[in-house]
Amino acid sequence: MMADQNPQHGRRQHFHRGRRGPDRRGGERRGPAGQSAEGGREHREHVDVEQIMREIRSRISQRHGIELTTQQIQELAARRLEAILDPRTVKPSLLEQIRRSAATPIDTPTPAEPGYTFEDTTLYESHRGALRFIRRLLNPILKLFFNPNPLIAALNTQARLNQAAAQREAERERRQAEWNTLHYEILQRLVLEVARTSLESQQLAMKVEALSAKVDFAERRARSIEAALHQVRPSARHEPAPQPAHVAQAQSREAAAQDVASVPAGQEGAAADIGRRRRRRRRGRRAQGLTAEGTAAGVLTGVAAAESRLPDNGEAADVDDVDDEEIGAEGADEGEMYDAAPQVDAAPAEPAPAPSALEQRDSTSAPAAPAIETPSGANAEPASPDAPAPPPSSDPAGD
Amino acid sequence: MKLAIVVQRYGAEINGGAEQHARYIAERLSSHADVRVLTTCARDYVTWRNELPADEERVHGIPVERFPVVQERDPIAFRNKSELVFHAAHSVKDELDWLDVQGPNSPALLKRLAAIAGECDFVLLFSIRYLPAFYGARLAPHKAVLVPTAERESSIGLSIYPPVFRGVRAIMYNSHEERAMINALSSNHDVPGVVVGIGSDIPDAVDPQRARRTFGLQNPFIVYVGRIDANKGCAELFRDFIDFADRSNRAIDLVLIGTPILPIPDHSRIRHLGFVSDQDKFDVIAAAELLVMPSPYESLSMVALEAWALGRPVLASAKCDVLVGQCLRSNAGLYYEGAREFAAALDRILSDPALAAALGQNGRRFFTQHYSWPVIERKYLDMFDELRRIPTERRMEPLPGWLARRRRRVPPAAAVVQALPAGPVLAPHTPEHR
Repeated sequence: MMADQNPQHGRRQHFHRGRRGPDRRGGERRGPAGQSAEGGREHREHVDVEQIMREIRSRISQRHGIELTTQQIQELAARRLEAILDPRTVKPSLLEQIRRSAATPIDTPTPAEPGYTFEDTTLYESHRGALRFIRRLLNPILKLFFNPNPLIAALNTQARLNQAAAQREAERERRQAEWNTLHYEILQRLVLEVARTSLESQQLAMKVEALSAKVDFAERRARSIEAALHQVRPSARHEPAPQPAHVAQAQSREAAAQDVASVPAGQEGAAADIGRRRRRRRRGRRAQGLTAEGTAAGVLTGVAAAESRLPDNGEAADVDDVDDEEIGAEGADEGEMYDAAPQVDAAPAEPAPAPSALEQRDSTSAPAAPAIETPSGANAEPASPDAPAPPPSSDPAGD
Repeated sequence: MKLAIVVQRYGAEINGGAEQHARYIAERLSSHADVRVLTTCARDYVTWRNELPADEERVHGIPVERFPVVQERDPIAFRNKSELVFHAAHSVKDELDWLDVQGPNSPALLKRLAAIAGECDFVLLFSIRYLPAFYGARLAPHKAVLVPTAERESSIGLSIYPPVFRGVRAIMYNSHEERAMINALSSNHDVPGVVVGIGSDIPDAVDPQRARRTFGLQNPFIVYVGRIDANKGCAELFRDFIDFADRSNRAIDLVLIGTPILPIPDHSRIRHLGFVSDQDKFDVIAAAELLVMPSPYESLSMVALEAWALGRPVLASAKCDVLVGQCLRSNAGLYYEGAREFAAALDRILSDPALAAALGQNGRRFFTQHYSWPVIERKYLDMFDELRRIPTERRMEPLPGWLARRRRRVPPAAAVVQALPAGPVLAPHTPEHR
């Protein structure tokens, strides 16, 4: 590409990606600009269409597997036809026989002996007129010895039968030849279609494999997210509360935890409700504060953003890139399932509460980044310590 | 020098490839010889209906004699005969019947040709596929210079044609691929021949902006010029382009110029301009990113040459050996087979303006070297000079007799064509176009 037409100019060059060559290299490696442009022009005048087509086809085959042309499929089908009609396994010389019969022009075979007629005068015919006359003259004398009429009638009938048989045979041969041609054509097309179908099924199988790999990856990613949430769960237990009462609340929280722990088996539902309430409260604050909860929310936001950017075809390599960039080390570990994780995303945002001293301490010690990417792509600032605390009844569940 | 040109249709408004080819040659050679055209009264190549008057007129200064067609084409009979001779073993009589059914059958034209052949130095016969050229070559073999315009399709495999290829005085081929095919079919290597092709009247100046304004072409676009017909690969073009447009983010349109025979899909990115003037056509081609030529059967694509003359790259169907050969020899176009290659090749040209420009430059050079009018005229005149020097020794092989004509021993024409060597001719074995 000529320097003056390179849209990449002014941008950092990616030497490791895409098409390589002097046309994609930075201007600093080209020497003087004029020379570079002329060199590019000279290079371009020697375009090799064959090479370009090879590159295009190679790229397509790398991306979509082997791309076969119709002719190649036909050749493949022809090879398969030979395989199907293997003389060793099916019938000796069948393939050659079919080919020969298909290739041989349809021609009505003439009978070996020409057809003849036998009339009552045939016995006495001669190309010599005198001889013919003498025979006819002596015919009554001949009939004194035997009667030739049944012989003439029999031979006459036989001649007609021969002609009819020859016509029938010719017609049968002609039809047989047509059928052979038709059979060969049908067989050839059938094998062609089978070859095409098997290729398509191979492609579909490859697609299924790719999709199953994608599903596996999605499962692993979900587990990573849940593990991240699980890691931040202990710090999430430090609920924000008004500053003067934090000690009392911590004590009451511990008491509640003890209550939960001491719930009998039949009352596990109640304990779960308590846990769910806590989780719902956490959901409301995830996008605002620089707390461990915020970190978890950032993880989820990043994942959601990554999901929203996934291409439809969902190539694994792309997904891996997104995972590395968006999730980072926070979601790398696998952990146990966090049962309420799917609900987290669906919860509406709540006003951020004022962080307690305990939370401030936790947040400063947390490994989270100072700014967290929000779904809109902007970096959320850490929650202001002056932010009003939510009322106790602000639980989105209403309980 | 007196020349007679025989062609199935003729007229300024008739835009078939061979017919336009004949008209251009007649007009160009008229400055070197006394040219007379013999043709039919037909305007439509499907029906051969007599639509033009059966008399003599002048078309762009060339005297044109028109003769009536005695029978319009019966499409059902033509289909049945085609099925027989293309796909089943048959007789020579079946092939001659097929030729009659295909038409245009004008005994008056042949009678007139027989009458004036003696007065002419040469008879230029266009399109061997049709009846006037076939019987015209047999009527005046010593004067016959054939312009076969043969494509790699089933009809060229009929057994009645090779004797004609061997019996005429000379053959003016359209492409190296056509020559290789006819040589392989008829073993007529000793018949004088030259690859000529056809030039085009490229205007001195084109105005792409005017085309954009006139037709409201806001987006970048690719253009197809020609009959919009399934036989020309337009159905595949529509499918491939819609697939590309739906998948790609590029704002690229497909602009169609020509008479539609195939329904045009209702798609926001497909524009049909209908039949336009030559100036508009050239302006639109000049404004296009490239010209796409999806036809699998071309003996020579004039619009591809016109696009190259205007410095535009060509994207051609890989199914057509002639176009692929031209793309490779000229380094002025890419080719594709299937939707993926179409998308990839199109994307490659669109994403690399320098490549598109280089392809266009190569195309312009290719056109100037091989298809400009002085080059074409010189090849015709050189051939006529050569034929005058060479004594006439060749004899046209007669058609088989009454019985032999009816023997069903002729193999299917499609099978014959399939057995012919295929593929583009990358390096012509003779000196330039010989």
